[in-house]
Amino acid sequence: MHIHAYEKLWLALSIVLILALIGTVTYGAVGPGVAMVADSQSTVDPGALDEDDRFSEPRVEQVGENEYEAYVVAYQFGFEPTPIVVPANSTVTLHVTSRDVIHGFEVAGTSANAMAVPGEVSEITVETDEPTEYGIVCNEYCGAGHHVMEGKLNVVSQSEFENRGGDSE
Amino acid sequence: MGQSEAVNAPTDDVGGDGEEFDPIGTLTLIGIYFTILVLAWVYIYFIEFLGRDLVVVG
Repeated sequence: MHIHAYEKLWLALSIVLILALIGTVTYGAVGPGVAMVADSQSTVDPGALDEDDRFSEPRVEQVGENEYEAYVVAYQFGFEPTPIVVPANSTVTLHVTSRDVIHGFEVAGTSANAMAVPGEVSEITVETDEPTEYGIVCNEYCGAGHHVMEGKLNVVSQSEFENRGGDSE
Repeated sequence: MGQSEAVNAPTDDVGGDGEEFDPIGTLTLIGIYFTILVLAWVYIYFIEFLGRDLVVVG
């Protein structure tokens, strides 16, 4: 079978392209460590979040040197706690769940984006940089007030975080 | 397809081995598409996606 030289060329290029697409995604996972929301978290009873260790009191707590855990509950129509206050230059693991219907949890303008599903816990770990303020939006239609459902994620300096005190206890 | 090519191949390939068929315009177009695709992918992945704040790492 005769194959024209140009055809061989673009067959080769299309294979290179496929390998490059797979390669960049592999690089993302190995280099910067980009990860997905896993299903490894234990489930919760969405009707009894107030009796749950993690979500009875939505909060941010320190769990290690420069490591923090945030427990966030989405509801119609908002997020608890609001604002979520975390220190700059730290590793923050967000645990997000819902106590009523499916919500979205998107830190606007960033890659932090998860679903908040009743009974399930979405766990995403992010690294904060400089102090700044982000908006949080619900990106799953959740009812009549969906368009006003918003939260705040405030990244504050370490000293300011310590001064606030209450948020870490 | 394979069958008809097997039948036609000898007569087709007797001459200039398809050398007069030189789709340089198609090659150029595919080259441009390929370049756009590669640049768009680099921009979307490395600049827009990895360049944003709060990359999910776990």
